Amino acid sequence: MTAPDRPRISLLGTSALLFEAPGAFDLPHQRRIWALAATASKWPGIREAIPGITNMMLTFETPPREVDTLIAALNDGWDAAEGLAIGGREIRLPVTYGGAIGSQLQSVAEHCGLSIDDVVAIHAAPLYTVFALGSHPGYCYLGGMDPRITMPRRQTPLQRSAGGSVSIGGSQTGVSASPGPSGWHAIGHTTWTFFDPSWPTPAALAPGDTIRFEIEQVIR
Amino acid sequence: MIEILSVTGPASVQDLGRLDQYRFGVGTSGAMDDVALRAGNILLGNDENAAGLEIPMMPFKLRFDRDMAFALTGADVDAEIAGRVIPPWWRSHAGAGDILTIKAMARGARSYLAFSGGIDVPMVLGSRSTQFRGEFGGWHGRPLQPGDVLPCTASTATIGELGVEPAEVTLARPNADPDETLVRVVVAGEYDGFDAATQELFWSSSWKITPQSNRYGYRLQGPAVKPSMPIEKRSHGIVPGVIQIPPNGQPIIQMRDAQTSGGYPKIAAVIRADLWRVGQARLGRMLRFEQTAYADALAAEAEMSAYLDRLRANVGLVEETRTCR
Amino acid sequence: MPIELTDIARLAQILERSGVDTIEIEVSGQSLKLVVNTGPRMAASPTLAAPATDHSVIAKADVAGHFLAAHPWRDKPFVARGQRIEAGAIVGLVKIGVLYAPIVAPAAGTVDAVIAETGTMVGYGTPIVRIRPLS
Repeated sequence: MTAPDRPRISLLGTSALLFEAPGAFDLPHQRRIWALAATASKWPGIREAIPGITNMMLTFETPPREVDTLIAALNDGWDAAEGLAIGGREIRLPVTYGGAIGSQLQSVAEHCGLSIDDVVAIHAAPLYTVFALGSHPGYCYLGGMDPRITMPRRQTPLQRSAGGSVSIGGSQTGVSASPGPSGWHAIGHTTWTFFDPSWPTPAALAPGDTIRFEIEQVIR
Repeated sequence: MIEILSVTGPASVQDLGRLDQYRFGVGTSGAMDDVALRAGNILLGNDENAAGLEIPMMPFKLRFDRDMAFALTGADVDAEIAGRVIPPWWRSHAGAGDILTIKAMARGARSYLAFSGGIDVPMVLGSRSTQFRGEFGGWHGRPLQPGDVLPCTASTATIGELGVEPAEVTLARPNADPDETLVRVVVAGEYDGFDAATQELFWSSSWKITPQSNRYGYRLQGPAVKPSMPIEKRSHGIVPGVIQIPPNGQPIIQMRDAQTSGGYPKIAAVIRADLWRVGQARLGRMLRFEQTAYADALAAEAEMSAYLDRLRANVGLVEETRTCR
Repeated sequence: MPIELTDIARLAQILERSGVDTIEIEVSGQSLKLVVNTGPRMAASPTLAAPATDHSVIAKADVAGHFLAAHPWRDKPFVARGQRIEAGAIVGLVKIGVLYAPIVAPAAGTVDAVIAETGTMVGYGTPIVRIRPLS
């Protein structure tokens, strides 16, 4: 077993590898992940270095013969990584909480022992940072959610969840960019465009950008 | 050009995939049986990444509007061109107006049609594959419908009929039960979070492929495989082949249209050399996992590459001797 | 185009690289047969010479390899005795390495006999299927 203060590194079959940083789900750790990803993406044989939430996936051009060499490089890279502070843009995003799309607002309130208004107020309070993109085209994982509105992911993922859903999964929150399957709980929705393949950079947001949710409406 | 006359289920335009756009949340898409698509393109002398059609359900029918060579690979299907039977893994030639009909699928789950020169849809983010979730790539980012007319860059040069040995024959697994798909996997990050008895259950069980299985993922049914303690991960990247265990203990194999990240615990991942076997495993059939060391997984990949190298060399030889004659 | 010595050398090289045993080439009267591996010898061409009055046509192999009466995925052979076939129909395969080359009917008719046995080595011109043409 890996020591608790050391990174965990594991294989995702023969086409990728996962690096998980030790420590908290917070911005300083995420900045080190951004720094490590910037470095690792230049290594030979690496197709992409993709930041996750205080973790990073490396996809391989060709699978490395010697995984140990790569693991050592990642450990050294993590120790050497200085936080990369990305000065991003700030986006204001109007959200309709509750309603047909945000149908889980009530269950999140019940699970957390809070009123609907509390959940909405707590969710809309922070300035969230885009930690990573993933899941589906243009989707942003946000850091900064108040742990009081944490709710475990679904027992069985939904086959289809609406585009623009504002959801909670564990201690994370995010907005879906298009309809699709999801294991998260939708508490609201927005109508913003997060992704267009014809844009020079197809995703509207990038790691380091910030989002402030504005309460447009609460449907009970 | 080719015109789709009749289609059942979500047939789509696919190449080998959009492999380097994960950082924007864009998954690979691409042929579920990439070996079959490559073989079809090799038969035609195409770039192996040329776009073809992936057809998961029959019947299927299309019309050629000009002379064109094509290849049919993947699942074992009952197919005809202008009344002539097309054997499995075969290249043939169509005349203008000829109709290709695929009636039934006797084995496997997906049939592939490659066309001389490939299907000429625009490259979007480095690939012609259909991205269903993002609704781009392929043919307008959607499944094919009757009446769709797909552009092809085909040369009209006639090439003779020729077949190749299906990958399933050359790369047959020893001792595989014919009613089960045997899939090699390497263990993944949370394997140690399952106790020894549960790990054993994962290996020894025969998993049923449920009707909720598709290009996004294969949802399996069997005994509940649950970690000793609930595991909730921070979201991280995942790739096709990763086997997640959601809280209900029923494994999900991520496939070509899977989300690019997730947080359910991962017990194992299908090796790249066997992912096409999953892509050809039919709904309702059984699947079994075989634990493989990383080094053996690389050896299996080398074996798969050697098969493709032989196809390339052998098909190339036929063209060379034709030129000599 | 006469076959040059350099062509032969090049072909032998290609054969070796690709794992194909044998190849036969015919160019304006000249014929060339290359055998790389000394594997199983070619089966002598069956001498099922038809009577002189017979108007049968013969579907012949045009490349050397192993004859397959059925595709490995299929139980049913391509053709059976008594079957009506069209000109150009596939009557069997020659397996050369991982390639399957078709053997086609030169004329429409009824299958009289499948002469070659599945799995045997056949060469250029080996008779495979005898067909009674439509008259």
